Parts: sequence; C-alpha cells; structure tokens
Amino acid sequence: MQFPGKAKPPVGIVFDCALGSKIDDALALAMLHGFEGKNEARIAAIGISNPDLKAAQFADIVGLFYASATTGVARAFMHLTPIGLDEGKPRAASPMLNAPLARTDANGKPTYTSTVTSIHDTADVTTLIRNALTAQDDQNAAFVLTGPATDLAKLLDTYGLRELIAQKVKLLCMAAGTFPDGPAEPNIKADVAAARKVLAGWPGPLVAAGYEIGAALPFPGASIEKDFAWSAAHPVADAYSACRPMPYDAPSWAMAAMLYAVRPKENYFKLSGPGTITVSDDGRTSFAESENGRHRYLILDPAQKERILRTYTEIASAKPVVRKPPHPADEKKEEKKEEKKEEV
Amino acid sequence: MALPFLEAMVPAMAATRAAKPPVRMAFVYVPNGIIMNGWNPDYEGKLGALPRILKPLEPFREDILLLGNLTHNAGRALLDGAGDHGRCSASYLTGVHPRKTLVDIQAGVSFDQIVAKQVGAHTRFPSLELGMEDARQAGDCDSGYSCAYTNNLAWESETQPLPPVLDPRALFERLFGKGQTLTPEARARENLYRRSILDFVSDDTRKLEADLGPTDRRKLDEYLSSIREIERQIERAEKDNAQIDPHMEKPYGVPADFAEHFKLMTDMMTVAFQSDLTRVITFLVTHEGTSRPYREIDIPDGHHPLTHHRNQPDLIEKVTQINSYHVRQFAAWIAKMKSIKEGDSTLLDNCMIVYGAGLSDGNRHLHEDLPTLVAGRGGNYINSGRRIVYRRETPMCNLFLAMMDRMGVHAERFGDSTGSLDGLDLA
Repeated sequence: MQFPGKAKPPVGIVFDCALGSKIDDALALAMLHGFEGKNEARIAAIGISNPDLKAAQFADIVGLFYASATTGVARAFMHLTPIGLDEGKPRAASPMLNAPLARTDANGKPTYTSTVTSIHDTADVTTLIRNALTAQDDQNAAFVLTGPATDLAKLLDTYGLRELIAQKVKLLCMAAGTFPDGPAEPNIKADVAAARKVLAGWPGPLVAAGYEIGAALPFPGASIEKDFAWSAAHPVADAYSACRPMPYDAPSWAMAAMLYAVRPKENYFKLSGPGTITVSDDGRTSFAESENGRHRYLILDPAQKERILRTYTEIASAKPVVRKPPHPADEKKEEKKEEKKEEV
Repeated sequence: MALPFLEAMVPAMAATRAAKPPVRMAFVYVPNGIIMNGWNPDYEGKLGALPRILKPLEPFREDILLLGNLTHNAGRALLDGAGDHGRCSASYLTGVHPRKTLVDIQAGVSFDQIVAKQVGAHTRFPSLELGMEDARQAGDCDSGYSCAYTNNLAWESETQPLPPVLDPRALFERLFGKGQTLTPEARARENLYRRSILDFVSDDTRKLEADLGPTDRRKLDEYLSSIREIERQIERAEKDNAQIDPHMEKPYGVPADFAEHFKLMTDMMTVAFQSDLTRVITFLVTHEGTSRPYREIDIPDGHHPLTHHRNQPDLIEKVTQINSYHVRQFAAWIAKMKSIKEGDSTLLDNCMIVYGAGLSDGNRHLHEDLPTLVAGRGGNYINSGRRIVYRRETPMCNLFLAMMDRMGVHAERFGDSTGSLDGLDLA
C-alpha cells in the first residue's frame, strides 16, 4: 500500500470484484498480479463484494502465489495489502473457490495456505480503499469493478470519499452492462440501486466493458493446460478447472476491463463517444450519447481480437517475479550473506 | 494543596446518586514498536495467560482490555517517503498525517486536547503533558521530520504541540507548589529555606482530620504519606545526580535510573488523578527513534537500532526485554492505581489508561495492528479482561471517538474515524 516517495509509480489499481460466481474475476485478478510483476500496475487494494470468507482466502493464496518468488530480506520486508471483504452470509457454495482451497499434496498438506482464517484477517472494503487512495499520487489510480457496484456505492456515501476519488482516480472501468443494448447483465442486475448510484455519482471518467465484449472474446480454456502448466500447482488454473466441466472457454468482460484500465492507450479496444449510461428497473443498460457525458463503453475491434486473447493469456499466466527489498542496502547485505553461504 | 476524593465530600443524602468519581484518561506511549509475538495472545475473548511482554500485567488481566488490528493510516508514508517514526508519533493522538518539514510544522489538534478543552474546566490543569526524554522542539529527528513531531504527543492547535514536562521536580512544583516552574537558581535559593510542603499545610490537615470519619482519615493519611514519599524520592534523585559525572548533561532533578524516573512521574500522575488536579494526561515515555540504551537491564545497545533486527533472534530478544521492562514499570503503576479506593471502586476503575505505540513491527515500520491496551474501566463502562480483535485497517481514531464519548465529549468523527469503536462497553 505504501510507496517510497520518489518517481511517480505505475497506476495503482483498486480491484473490486465478486470472486466465486464467475471465473472471469479470478482471471482478471491473475492479470492484475501479472501487470504488477511487469511493473505496469500496482495493486492498491482488492475488495470483494461477495461476502464469502473463501473468496478472501482465494485472493490471499493468489497473492501469496505471486509473492512466492521473493525470498530472503525482501520477503521479510514484504507486506501484502489486506483483502477487503463485505460482511454477510455467502450466497452459495463456490466450486471455483473450494477446489484450490481444498487441494492437498501427496502428504495431505494444503497445497496453498491462506493467512486469512477469520473475518478479522480481512478489512472493511470502504476503509481499505479509502486508506489505499490516500497513498496514491493524484490522478494515478484506477478502479476496476468486475462485480456488483455495491462497494463503490458505499464509497460514494462515505464522508470525504467523493472528493478523494476525484483527486486520485483517473478512471473507473467497470465490467457491467450490455451495449449499445441487450439483456440485463449479471453485475448490474445483482445491485441495480448501487449501479445507478455509481453511474450517476462517480466523480470522474467511467468506461464500461459490456457483457458483449466478454462474450466476443472468450478466454481459451486450452490455455489453462498449456500456458499455466509451468507451475505444478496454480490456484487460478485450479479455480478455472473447478468452475465448470472442462474444457470450456470463459467470457472475459472482467479481463477486458482490467486490460483497458492498465493499458488504455494501446488500442486494444475502440471507445464509444461520450454519453450517459442509465439502468432500467430490470437491470438493462442504455447509453445516450452526449457531448458532456462522462461515460463511454468499449467496442470490440475485430482486428484486435487475436492480440487481445494473446495478451490475456500472456499476462494472466505470467510467472511470479522477484521483488526487491525496500532498501538497496538490505539487498546488498543479503547478497553478501548468500555469497558467504556459497563459499562455505 | 489539592485533596483526594473523600467520602466526606459527598453529602449523606446524595451519597447514592452523586458519589460517582470523575472519569479520567491517560496515554502512555512507548516508541519504536513492539515485538508483536510477545504482545499478541494467540486467542480472543477472556484474558488468560498473557504473552511474555505482557506477563507483568497478568495480576491485572481483569482490569485490562487488549485491542487488536487498530491502524493509524495517517502515520504511513502516503507519498512522503521515509520518516515513519516522526509520522507515527505526530499522528498518534492527532489522527492527522503531519507535514514533512523541519520548520513550518503542521499536524492537528490532538484528541486529548479536544477532551481537555471540555472537561478541563473542572480541574486545575486541563491536561498534563509528561515525558522522560528529550524535549527538543527543533532540528531533524527523522528523515526531514522536525523533532517537534517525535518529542510531543499532545497538540493544542495544528501548529502548536505541547512539550512534555520531563523533570519530576518541575512537575511536583507545578502540581503542588506555586503553579509555576522555578528556575534552577530560584529553586536553589528556595532550597535553603526548604521544608516539606506538608509542613506548610500540617495545621490545616490537623483541623480537617478532626471532622473526618475513620475511612477518610486513613485515606487522607495515605494520601499525605504518598506526597511525603514523592518528596523523599525527589531528594534522593537529586542526591544521586550530584554523583553523576559532571561532564554529562543531566537535567536537574531527573533521576538517572529509568525505573525510578518512571515511578516518580507515575506517582505524580496518580496523585494528579486522585486529587482531580487533571483528568487528562499524556505520557511520552521515550520518543520515537530514541537510541536510549538500557544498561539497567544489561542492554547497552541503542533501542532504535535494535528494533531494526532483520529477524535476528539475539536482537529480537533484546528488544523483547526492553518492551517487557517498559511494561513492568507500567504494571507497577497500574498496581498503585488499583490499590487506591474511590467509593466502591478504585482509582483505576475510573480511568481509561491507554498503553501503546505508533508502530507495531518496528523492524518494518508497520502502522497496523498497533499494540494497544486499555487499563481501567472508564467508570464502570469498559468490559475489561478481554482481547478484542477488530478487522484489519480499523482506524485507531475509532477508539478515540469511543473514549471521547466516555469522557462526555461528543463528536461525529475524529481524524480518519469511521465510527465509534464497538464492543468496549458492558452492554
């Protein structure tokens, strides 16, 4: 969450999702870690609106998985941001969460061990995001929303948050809606009131990655057995395999939102003109173009389809990278220690 | 001279409803974080066996509340780079991220001062700011943070900290003397004619004793004895200081021995609370970033360098010993507070004494899961004897909001609070 105050760091991503119901969110999470490993983004905060401790545990083991390459002093100094989780009862059992959390090795030990054992090991989403935003440079944070807008609506209702968002956040990219029109999309439908509040009150630019984008860009299930196979155990691959009977390709509107938020200028997508998105009572979205509108939606450029899918698999399956310790002096001392060990 | 709370002060007819002693609050701040493995029990709920650092408080576990996961986001870097020690002490009671500067300091009004402004009208001193080390108010004490940030806890305005009184003698004179601190010259002159303060008031106390019942007489006697004892300790400390190498700069009247200094200060805090001289005290034991050695317990290394232990067991052990040593002194004070009766309760029962630090892990400079314990029941309000673990990132300012409420000061928010901390009370 903290960052030494030197050069402007890469964009800080606040990722708010509903891990558990669709694999797309887990893949977007993997992409976020992949982008962080490439130093293209930083994880500012992860909030989960699905009130299931297992969702937090899953996000935690994914974080630990990507931290696993870091050892020694850097590991000792590593400080993982807590996971934000809404309180409440889980809506339904989630095979994509259960499978990796229940996986054991040949000795019966858990393959992945989460540090989250109770609700106390998680944070209130609003407080977590508020604190994370205070540590971002102005206009250097972006929100990626891939679940219902519940948490973001709460943010807008919290004292001082609207102003803080306006100051720090340059973009909200939400996987939501269907454009230019179509059936009600699940994220909007899950909390229509919250979606309306966020669409009406978000104090900055908002880009929607509609369901149609995800449907037109199915994440190739074959990639799980090919691109993720470098690791004998990968929590996201395990989640994917458990989510639905394999093989299957998964709609990717959450991944599209993540990709656009981190690489908005690389022409993966075309953008609609400015306008305003509104939501009907049954959760259907409609878009009205207007010169002063603050909303846009992503439009698929067929010429970019293969490039997007390649980027999806490359970033989501990226290997963990070694992180440096906070103080260069520590690194040097550690290197010397390692040298001594080798000499012995 | 002020008097303790006596039963005779309560008119017989009103005894049942008006006998409630006032609620007081104090903050005891220790620097450079704590070895959290030795602080956090591995359980929640009713307190049983306490971890090593807290062991001295085991006899008083029914009187303390351990709070887990409280966080001071304002103490974090938030784009300001190094300087966690400066920030964590400046933000501890203000809840504000201080401006990184050596000159035009800026933090916020600390919550103890907000309380003091409201309840201070009832007492001679709205608040007392005490410490034991280094009251420099200028210079660079941490990576570009002014010493004003590390060496003060209480802030009466955004730009005006309240420096702590370090000298027990100055404190004594402030509490029981002329209401002002004498210069060393004036003090020396006065010493020529010096008698115990008690000698001056002996006629008055004799007259008063005649009108008191046996309980009050005993209480008054204990009270006067404790003042006499403080006088003796100060005399002793001054004598000891005279034997210290004269080339060393030692403030006049400050004991060389840490434990003795701590005891003197807390003895006077006890009397100040007991006699309702004040209801708000902040006590900066030593300041953030201090490199004070602890030769008293055979640790000649500086405290701060030790806390950057890089997970080396021998260094962690030394820091643990320092942490335990501090808690031992604190426990002795708690014992004293608990021994003093106030009506049907004890002085401790009617206090909220927060012992804590602005960093948890001093090695990594973490500002979350801050070591925080509250001793006393705040006047039969706090359900003590428990460990409560809150969710991560729960603002420390939520505790302050709850304490403000208990002190009769109602505010909607303070610092980065998100609401009053729940679960403290007996309800």
